[in-house]
Amino acid sequence: MTTTGLTLTSLLEHPGAGGLVVIAGGERTWSTAVVEGREDDLPDEVEKALAVVLSPVPSASWQVDALLRRVRDRGFTGLVLAGTLSTSVEALAQRLDLVVLLAEQPIRVAKSAWELVEAPDVLALSVVRRVAQSIEYRADSMEDLLHNVAANVGHGIALVGRDEVVSTAGDPLPESLRSAIAFSQWLDVSVTTDGFAASVPVQSRSRTDLRVVLHSRDSGRAQRTALSTAVEMVMPMVAARLLIDEVEAVSEVSRSSGLLGDFLEAGGASDAETERRMRVRGWRTNGHHIGFRVLGRGRLDPFALLQVVNAHLATIRLDSHATTRGGGVMGWVSFNEAPSPQQVSGVAQDLLDLHQSALASFRVATGVGSLQSGATGLTVTLGEARDAARLASDRERSGWFVHVDRLGLGQLLLAGTTGDSLTRAAVALLSPLSERERETLAVYLDEESSIVATGKRLGLHRNTVTSRVQRIQTLLGSDLSDPETRLALQLAARAAHGSS
Amino acid sequence: MPLLLDQADLPALALGAAVLGSGGGGSTHVGQIMAQRSTSWPVTVHDVAELDPTTPCIAVGYVGSTLLLEERLPGHAPFDEAIAAAQRWLGSPARAVCTLEAAGLNGLTALHLAGSHQVVDADCMGRGLPDLDQLSLLIDDVPGLVVCAPTGSGGVALLDGARPADVERVVRTAIESNGGWAGLVIAGFTVADLVQHAIHGSTRRALSVGRVLTLGADLDASALASSVGGTLLGVGRVMDVRQEPDRPDVISTDVRTSAGDVLRLVSRSEHIAALLNGKVMANSPTLVVTLDAATRAPLQVHECTMARDLIILTLPAPQWWSQEPRRAAVARPAHWGLDGLSA
Repeated sequence: MTTTGLTLTSLLEHPGAGGLVVIAGGERTWSTAVVEGREDDLPDEVEKALAVVLSPVPSASWQVDALLRRVRDRGFTGLVLAGTLSTSVEALAQRLDLVVLLAEQPIRVAKSAWELVEAPDVLALSVVRRVAQSIEYRADSMEDLLHNVAANVGHGIALVGRDEVVSTAGDPLPESLRSAIAFSQWLDVSVTTDGFAASVPVQSRSRTDLRVVLHSRDSGRAQRTALSTAVEMVMPMVAARLLIDEVEAVSEVSRSSGLLGDFLEAGGASDAETERRMRVRGWRTNGHHIGFRVLGRGRLDPFALLQVVNAHLATIRLDSHATTRGGGVMGWVSFNEAPSPQQVSGVAQDLLDLHQSALASFRVATGVGSLQSGATGLTVTLGEARDAARLASDRERSGWFVHVDRLGLGQLLLAGTTGDSLTRAAVALLSPLSERERETLAVYLDEESSIVATGKRLGLHRNTVTSRVQRIQTLLGSDLSDPETRLALQLAARAAHGSS
Repeated sequence: MPLLLDQADLPALALGAAVLGSGGGGSTHVGQIMAQRSTSWPVTVHDVAELDPTTPCIAVGYVGSTLLLEERLPGHAPFDEAIAAAQRWLGSPARAVCTLEAAGLNGLTALHLAGSHQVVDADCMGRGLPDLDQLSLLIDDVPGLVVCAPTGSGGVALLDGARPADVERVVRTAIESNGGWAGLVIAGFTVADLVQHAIHGSTRRALSVGRVLTLGADLDASALASSVGGTLLGVGRVMDVRQEPDRPDVISTDVRTSAGDVLRLVSRSEHIAALLNGKVMANSPTLVVTLDAATRAPLQVHECTMARDLIILTLPAPQWWSQEPRRAAVARPAHWGLDGLSA
């Protein structure tokens, strides 16, 4: 669909024709544009041309009526007026079949019309020059860069993948145009009823399907030539920005990863410098924390994993942080006030969702620590998460996910994990129980779940034992008929007993 | 041949006079009441040629605000003081009377004086026009004219041989002093002066137009227009009425016709011009007449309100105006400083 001549859309889309308002009429094609200071100077006979009259529009309604009529009688089918109209001309313009436009600066409209009709190369050159001007401005991000280009060029720009718009600035890219783009070609010019889009591929380390698109509602020849040339100019800028952003992101992650290492090595008793660096990143050590660890089951790119984790964390309305560590990602969720059990279980669910979304792209196992408070608590919950993740990595049955607060503790114990974190976890697990209930549980488990034997050993009536065991089950939220649960609780009881 | 008017002719005459008002001239209602009170029915209206040319004559008419005139009705002899002043100044009584403008209210004014004067079928405008310097006797600079206007409580302003623009200026002041309207009298001329310097037969014209409107209820708009000797511009609805931003005295009315045309009326106290699709179709002194599309009643400018359906037609101006370019220039829109309305 190559259009010759000057169209209303191309004029409206021309970035130089600012302040142009359509008063009456719709899409129209003109053979040429005639610019005169006064209406009297317009040629007496033209064929479907656009008249641009630079002198201000008269104020009296009948004078405006007569002006429209005379311009139409000369053969013009479009008229650009300057100044403000104090009368309604739509009905008359419609009757005369005349497109009426009002311009703040008619001389600019004249210039734009000239570029579109007589000098498409001039238009291309001016667009390219404006692209080049965008380089002068500092851009902090891809979005910034696209905004600069869109503002300078006066057309919409977008960075698109095969199925999505990655980033965009200016007018949104119409869906019909996005889906019309051919990804196999170098320069693709797609035209739909919504306009046209010129696009070229962008080289990127991380994705192979990216294209940068310049689009416009108009599909006139001059405009298409201009934007097709301009999009090739824009491409290296976008590619460079992508590379800068990637390098920036990687080094940023390695810095944060190093910082987390320093913090963990100090065991929570970090020095002033580490604390300052943590504060800069918004990492708080006070408050309450739940740590998590996403570990690769095999080799993976921790940076790529972190991007997926961060994308998911961004959807959770909580204060969360994550960075790479070893062959995976380590992170935590923080609370100012001690969270309710419902909140904790909500976090566990969120982290399970996170684990599952990571599983879609990576072979990972995820461990979640228990709720802890303060700087030391943060190291504890992260330690638990680390152990749990290690445990989860050969637990296909649990979906490669272990939460220390839940039955995962048993699995921790069964895996023979040792150390402080284990004991603390055991104490935490049994913390809802009173001293007497803890003793009853230990004896009950030792006596292989026999109510009678337990009652005998503790000198209690069996009904008392039955009700106490039921209460313990409720408090722990565990099913004592499950052998693994029984074993875990037995070990926990032993570990807790040993520590006290 | 003289025209014998009966009281029963008054409604048709009033209707025709309203049409000749071209959107102005005021409501004919008061004029009818005043004329009915005249005791000399039937009234004989003479052609100019029928009377002795040496007969001294006066031209009378209400000037000022016709709306105020309906609020503050005239007394039984609103012209007497001015006529007496003119007579004292000139030394002899006038025996014939004509009207200042055969349009609207004033189309009936001369009939008030039928008891004391011979009524001549002549007037000084042949249609409605707003300004006193647009009177034919003044435009043609007839020598010896005396203009008398009451100034309130028995006072009369008398201008002898004044320039037309001065008559307009001074009489406006007198009108203000008299309370917004006044019965103006111009004297100092004879029936012979009317032969050259006045419009003839306007009463007959008004009566015939009024009869067509009364009897031609079945005619369609186009036939109606040609029956009254005019041209139909269109039938349409008023879409917008606005004061021109730079000319608060000018009202512009936007009419969308049933044929899809855009018709614009430009008016002051009368309709001055009409444009059809941006082309000037008629301008003063040509008459632009607005009738209610349903009742066929002549509408004044202020009655052409939003969403009202109108029949808009033009009637040719009396020939007197086009006999000399000088005369036409006084009645053209440019006279009021309105550019771009020449056909």
